Amino acid sequence: MKRLKVTSAVAAFALILAACTTAADTTTTGATDPAAPGTTGGPGTTAVGPPPAGDGVLAAVMERGHVNCGVNDAVPGFGFVGADGAHVGFDIDFCLALAAALFGDDNEGDILNRVGFVTLTAQQRFTALQSGEIDVLIRNTTRTATRDGGEGATFLTTTFYDGQGMMVSADSGFTSIDDMTDTTICVLGGTTTELNLATRMADLNYTPQTFEENAQIQEAFLAGTCDGWTSDKSQLAGVRSAWPEDQGGPEALVILEETFSKEPLGPAVLDGDSQWAQIVDWVVLATIQAEEFGITQDNVGTFTDSENNDIRRLLGLEITTDEGTAVFDPGLGLPTDFVVHVIGAVGNYGEIYERNVGPDTPLGLERGVNALWTEGGLIYAPPYR
Amino acid sequence: MMGRSKGRPITHSLEMSTSQATRGSRPPFWRDLRVIRIVIQALAIVVVSVIAYVLWFNLTNNMKRAGLSTSFDFLTQPLGVDIAGSDVGPGSPVWKGLLVGIKNTFALVLVGVPLLTILGVVVGVSRLSTNWLVAKLAAIYVEVLRNLPPLLILFFTFNAIFLSLPRLEDSWNPLGLMVINNRFVAIVGFTAQPGFGPFWLIVGVSLLFGVWVWIWRTARGERTGQPSHRLRWSALPVLACAVVAFLALGQPIGLSFPVLDGRALLGGYQGFAAYFAVLVALVLYTASHVAEIVRGSIQAVPKGQTEAAESLALTPYQRLRFVVFPQAMRIAIPPTISQYLNFTKNTSLAIAIGFAEVTRITFQTIGNGQPAPQLVAMLMASYLLFSLTISLVVNIINRRLRYVTT
Repeated sequence: MKRLKVTSAVAAFALILAACTTAADTTTTGATDPAAPGTTGGPGTTAVGPPPAGDGVLAAVMERGHVNCGVNDAVPGFGFVGADGAHVGFDIDFCLALAAALFGDDNEGDILNRVGFVTLTAQQRFTALQSGEIDVLIRNTTRTATRDGGEGATFLTTTFYDGQGMMVSADSGFTSIDDMTDTTICVLGGTTTELNLATRMADLNYTPQTFEENAQIQEAFLAGTCDGWTSDKSQLAGVRSAWPEDQGGPEALVILEETFSKEPLGPAVLDGDSQWAQIVDWVVLATIQAEEFGITQDNVGTFTDSENNDIRRLLGLEITTDEGTAVFDPGLGLPTDFVVHVIGAVGNYGEIYERNVGPDTPLGLERGVNALWTEGGLIYAPPYR
Repeated sequence: MMGRSKGRPITHSLEMSTSQATRGSRPPFWRDLRVIRIVIQALAIVVVSVIAYVLWFNLTNNMKRAGLSTSFDFLTQPLGVDIAGSDVGPGSPVWKGLLVGIKNTFALVLVGVPLLTILGVVVGVSRLSTNWLVAKLAAIYVEVLRNLPPLLILFFTFNAIFLSLPRLEDSWNPLGLMVINNRFVAIVGFTAQPGFGPFWLIVGVSLLFGVWVWIWRTARGERTGQPSHRLRWSALPVLACAVVAFLALGQPIGLSFPVLDGRALLGGYQGFAAYFAVLVALVLYTASHVAEIVRGSIQAVPKGQTEAAESLALTPYQRLRFVVFPQAMRIAIPPTISQYLNFTKNTSLAIAIGFAEVTRITFQTIGNGQPAPQLVAMLMASYLLFSLTISLVVNIINRRLRYVTT
């Protein structure tokens, strides 16, 4: 009995000591928790002890061996889980591109082993990013001022310029949104969609019906509880393309013409780690630049003898000048030939687009504003030099 | 500790917690039980405080590093969205949106708790019925619903029942008094006509008179032993007064019938399908638990009580009402409080079907950019408030009925 009390007192002391040292550890190194963003000792932090070198999300990801990517599993074309359980989509391909850029060097095997897909609902996605559960969020997310500011996200290059639309059933007779007074409209919670809907319908009397997932909206829409379904037009196109045949198939639905907001979709990372943000950014930009140079998944290996120094620079090939030969390294933290791995894994921007959401897919979206700047669109990459 | 009794010497050695009482003084502090107890409790407080501090420090540090706000200023920011069934719009502050959520949760709890109590008692008593069919039906109901997860029951109720109701265009309109479709259920409402205020004033005064009559008749009944008939003595004058006032003031309460005009509903009171789905699903689920509690507590009343009541020639109803049930209720109330709290917390499942109760509105607000730790803390605080209030109210009743041993 006495011995028990003494040992319990000693154990309590040990716990306190352990807690103190763990406290010091968690504030100085982020690497003890594999999915945590690293500490950079920025303004306003009170780190206990000096932060060790080589810290940050990049270091954590390389040590872990795979990158955690927050994705969608319910939007055909962008982020979807097929019948075989595999993740496919426009956003998924950029996750794979990132993994190829980081791990392409040392892993000749499947880059699918280098990505951890974390499916998230719209309401969970920013909390997951803030808590470090995911390293990057590539989930058809719109860039807004609040998300840049208060929510602590850093958005990278826009991969898809989209707009919000309204989908109604073909036999409802609605031709414009202003016809839709006294309607019930289904929308996903925690999205810019519901904010834009509230603004657009300010003068019309309507009832919003907010759900967490597209599957629930589909149930309600099929039952006729909602008169309209509003979301990004690309999402609506995806949903419409997969509409079941026994409900009338895609012809039973109509996406109204009007686009009532700007929805630039792109990847996002957490504030505070510029190196990681720039890595993700340049992986995306590399795919765009590759399309501009005509580098495709098939011909990426054929440029070893190219005379074009811009292409050689992009692909990390040796450039011979009067001063000597050198391989270009911009100092991003990526291997010099990361572009070769990226294009080899998923192709250039155009190929990613065509494969997932292009005119030949069930979604059937034309490039439109998502064409290269050389063809009148908004897709533009800064020079890689 | 031994009390001092006159004339008897106290043997101090028995009061010593450890041996070696020869000196009659305290043992060294590291063997003294009293000191050890205090030290361990102090250590426990220190350990818990340290853990709490570490967690708090970690959270605020990470939030500052990512540039996230740690204050409650967001409560006055605009909400940005509309909430169905309320006046809250995109320009309203966040705290108004959260208040709507609390109001909706309260609406669920206020209606649900009495319903589930009634249903639970009825089913619990039925399970002990001598009628074989009634008993078996009650048993099937209890066993099925008790063993299913409430979320599944909710999905089933919403999808299979409420979404299967007719579409808006084909609404049922029984007797012109209700409108039923898969979006909402509307019933006849009441409107205030001139004379509304004075009417309620008169009814209020007559209610006070009725309470006084009730107390008088109860006291008279106890004093003289004659049946007090307190209900008819107090209720009839109040009703008569209400009817007379109604007619005299020229019908100060009007009816507003629910009428569908295209897609809009004019008149009547409207309740969303999601609200009823949550209500029905959770009432059925929780009532199955309450039924088991009631059955168990009735069976826990000693059989001698029932036999004594029989020998007094009480009917089965009188037996239940005056002898068995009051004793059973004392045993049943504490576990029933737990079931009320479970019902309150299970209303958060309504997020799955899109009903605007406080959990859904909190997560919607988080999804639209407001800080998560503060909002979730507020959400937990509101559920805590609901639960503590329910416990408090029912415990007041429980204290009066508690089984007191002499």
